[in-house]
Amino acid sequence: MNVELQVIGSSLRAIAEEMGAVLVRSAFSANIKERRDCSTALFDEGGRMVVQAEHIPVHLGAMPDAVAAVMTLPGEQWILNDPYTGGTHLPDVTVVSRTALGYAVSRAHHADVGGMEPASLPAFSRELYQEGLVIPPTPLTDEVVSLFVANARNPDERRGDLRAQIAAHRLAAARVDELCARRGRDRVAAAMDELYAYSERMVRAAIERLPDGTRSAEDVVEAVDGELTIRATVTVDGDEIHIDFAGTDPQDAHNLNCPLAVTKSACYFVVRCLTEPDLPASGGAFAPVRVTAPEGCLVNARRPAAVVAGNTETSSRIVDVVFAAFGEYAQGQGTMNNVALGNDRFTYYETIGGGQGACADADGPSAVHVTMSNTLITPVEALELAYPIRVEAWALRERSGGAGAHRGGDGVVRELRVLEDCRLSVLAERRARGPRGAAGGDGGAPGRTLVNGEERAAKLTAALRAGDLLRIETPGGGGFGAATPPAR
Amino acid sequence: MQSTRVAILGVDVGGTFTDAVLLDGGRVRTAKVPTAERQEESVVAAARAVGAKTVERFAHGTTTATNALLERRGARTAYVGNAGFEHLLHLRRQTRAQLYRLCAQHPEPLVPLERCHGVRGRLGPGGELEPLGEIPDVGDVDAVAVCLLFSFRDPSHERTVAAELRRRHPGVHVVASHEVAPEFREYERASTTAADAYLAPVTARYLGALAEAARAAGLPEPLVMLSSGGVASVAEAAAHPATILVSGPAAGVVGAGIVARRAGYADAIAFDMGGTSTDVCLLPGGRAARVAERDLGGLPIRLPTVDLHTVGAGGGSLVRVDAGGAIRVGPESAGAHPGPACYGAGGGATVTDANLLLGRLPAELPGGLVLDRDAAAAALGGVDPAAVIDVVNAEMLRALRVVSVERGHDPRDFALVAFGGAGPLHACALAEDLGIGHVLVPEAAGVLSALGLVASERRRDRVESHVRRSRRSPCCRARARPISATGGSRSSSPSRCSPISPLRSTARTRSGTGTRTTRARSSSSPFAPPTSSPGLTCPCEAHPGTWYRGVSIWTGPPSGSPRAGAGRRTTTARWC
Repeated sequence: MNVELQVIGSSLRAIAEEMGAVLVRSAFSANIKERRDCSTALFDEGGRMVVQAEHIPVHLGAMPDAVAAVMTLPGEQWILNDPYTGGTHLPDVTVVSRTALGYAVSRAHHADVGGMEPASLPAFSRELYQEGLVIPPTPLTDEVVSLFVANARNPDERRGDLRAQIAAHRLAAARVDELCARRGRDRVAAAMDELYAYSERMVRAAIERLPDGTRSAEDVVEAVDGELTIRATVTVDGDEIHIDFAGTDPQDAHNLNCPLAVTKSACYFVVRCLTEPDLPASGGAFAPVRVTAPEGCLVNARRPAAVVAGNTETSSRIVDVVFAAFGEYAQGQGTMNNVALGNDRFTYYETIGGGQGACADADGPSAVHVTMSNTLITPVEALELAYPIRVEAWALRERSGGAGAHRGGDGVVRELRVLEDCRLSVLAERRARGPRGAAGGDGGAPGRTLVNGEERAAKLTAALRAGDLLRIETPGGGGFGAATPPAR
Repeated sequence: MQSTRVAILGVDVGGTFTDAVLLDGGRVRTAKVPTAERQEESVVAAARAVGAKTVERFAHGTTTATNALLERRGARTAYVGNAGFEHLLHLRRQTRAQLYRLCAQHPEPLVPLERCHGVRGRLGPGGELEPLGEIPDVGDVDAVAVCLLFSFRDPSHERTVAAELRRRHPGVHVVASHEVAPEFREYERASTTAADAYLAPVTARYLGALAEAARAAGLPEPLVMLSSGGVASVAEAAAHPATILVSGPAAGVVGAGIVARRAGYADAIAFDMGGTSTDVCLLPGGRAARVAERDLGGLPIRLPTVDLHTVGAGGGSLVRVDAGGAIRVGPESAGAHPGPACYGAGGGATVTDANLLLGRLPAELPGGLVLDRDAAAAALGGVDPAAVIDVVNAEMLRALRVVSVERGHDPRDFALVAFGGAGPLHACALAEDLGIGHVLVPEAAGVLSALGLVASERRRDRVESHVRRSRRSPCCRARARPISATGGSRSSSPSRCSPISPLRSTARTRSGTGTRTTRARSSSSPFAPPTSSPGLTCPCEAHPGTWYRGVSIWTGPPSGSPRAGAGRRTTTARWC
């Protein structure tokens, strides 16, 4: 690889990372500032992703669709959150802007975008319109900002978070200008091509090393009306992979649905883990991967199906199914344990880590976000200072990981006591069935959601009174390999 | 100010060599001796080698604490947190170690689960929620870290727990989080406290032995370099070893600052390229920029530290070509044994080999080592040595940009001070790329850290978090312009922002220990934070609608010290 292009490539990566730093430092909400639920990336003139800062995997595959959605529109800067044209779920608000060479993209999870429940994570939404304001790809003007914040429960916080995104884009524009001025626009464009091609070469070489063949696997999600099956068939052929979801159940009447962009993100994540985990993120890494799914099924839903849990929960299960199709795989917690609390004065959102499934050669880590998320937990002190919530426990859920030659990681216990009347939504999975072990390893303990000591369903929306206690016990990961019996 | 008769000794212990610099009657003498198994012996040997006899002041940089942390040779430590939160050190912030390697583990916490204990009782943001309960039995340990929620605001519970544990276990080192890092965000504070407790016994043992050895050799009691770039007494450093984790590199940064100031350059960037890694640090006004937190061995250490950015590549870094055809350098290193291929001991291709083939190194090094050109060429195979240098320089450039451009500084205004074994070899190319017009290569490039020790000042850092709702701040209303107008969080200047003043007075009232403080001299003071720390911004611009955090750092000699009154400074730093 040409060295000058390699050098320009590291400058482009630095720009994406710096965008992320500006966004995190200048945002208002705990969800972006403390939990870093956001991603940033640069795209070339052709709308191909060139670099992405390493933030949230679920944003990875879905960003190219956002750029594709705005490329034909007039203007310099756009906003969108429509899951069916470039978005993932409504709280993930994406800003795209033109730079001197291509596009800059930022995607941040806003803690409320309106809809039927505070924090915009209703457990029982049946159509997209109940989940909040839908913004199709639209030029970002002051009027659009006013419209957006007027539809959210915390307009000041929304405006602040959106401005933080805009600040990140201004920085990107200035940095790309500088880079083009220093290196020449043509050289930067060549470096973008090369970054893309380099990732593609690396991933193709790695796929080549995987055995050819076709395998299927399936698993279920715990929908409100019963279990829904996801089935994936993976075909490895030379240096290409095809992942097909034929046989997956039709779309959910509630909100476990995924737009295809989210499904692609989940598939790309698995391929990334299995091929080149250390490769800098670029769209080229996904060029050898083709993802197809029947229209109208759970993982390729049709408008206006509700989608809020698809992005967090179904995407986690898609990862499990695709991994299993590639070979022996001990499942991790397979949920993000989304908790949303709010009333007309505050909205708070967090996702909670759990046990990672064990690998063939190592124990699964405890108390981490597995697969599609990697957000931080809000510090107890930050949470209690900013919201009428008291944290009563934040601990490992000991022995929740499955036994095995390698143990699954333990889940966690988190107790939140609300100090004001408010609404609660919990979107979680793996409450009925725990994560499976592999190769003779035991499964992990299923998760539990308790309100005032009473066990509740995986999907939950409820009114809480001041003083009520929510307890979340997150699932442990599955073990790998049979545990050796204790020596006598 | 100082009599020319005063002799000052600086000794810096590194992994391979122990360096000494003696400033005696205006003359500078230097020496290098191999580092022995017992560090205190090499310190005395180096002092002897440099001819130190009647020394007035003796400053020391050590890697004892750092090595004990990285090699996990610290004390058997227990942790006491709130009941329900006793696993905090094992929960971290719930992110995984690597995004795409599912079973990559974080470094094991310093305290195993079975030694993590909970105590009933709870403080909240508004005060006590539940009175302190019975203090648990911590078992047979050498050190205890105590970290309770909201102790950065109200340390009363922590104080009681620590006092009781000290009463019960007189020989055990007990540290409460408010004593070492009374800062907001419990995990980072707990991690710092645990490291402090874990390292205390081993550090105290070493520093005690060193003080003894120094006394026997007729040297004064050593002063120990802090991560923040000043020196402290042996007692202070032994009490809180988490403050000396970056002791050696911090001394190098101080040394680079001296070189730059002596040469007449106000602003400089220290560029220390060694065998396995490279440290860069911005020196606006000739003094090191500082950060409030640094990660060491995968553990956050929330203490003021010179803002070093470390890259895992240096002269000894191994070179390879990956499957995609890209040249990769590091992080694996050939070390001193076998060393680069050109040492002729069977090592792999390194950056040093590329430099040799490009004619940038002599055939024989000053130490007498003859370099084997053919071995270097064979090891590199068909790889173009110039391309290797370009790739490693790209890494260095990124690091230099992180500390300059990304912090809002134009590197063209700075001089590049290059030191360490490989620094000067690469400095000119880097300067050219960054538009830097001046590169300084100090004559004492090999012992710059020891030189920094000689010139270091007494320093005491104290950090506090003050969390307020900024929507009450008059400043915000006065400056309610959109964030985007300033490009985010980097171009505003806190020195013009009014809420800092009340915060300063809060800080003064709360000091109460006799450490009087004075205001910053002016906004252009070399210690003024606006130009020296990442993400510094007026709080009202950072978070107009929500809470913010302010931290005061102030420094100066401890009260009662003979030099009290000299070099006293107050700064208000780091808002985010």
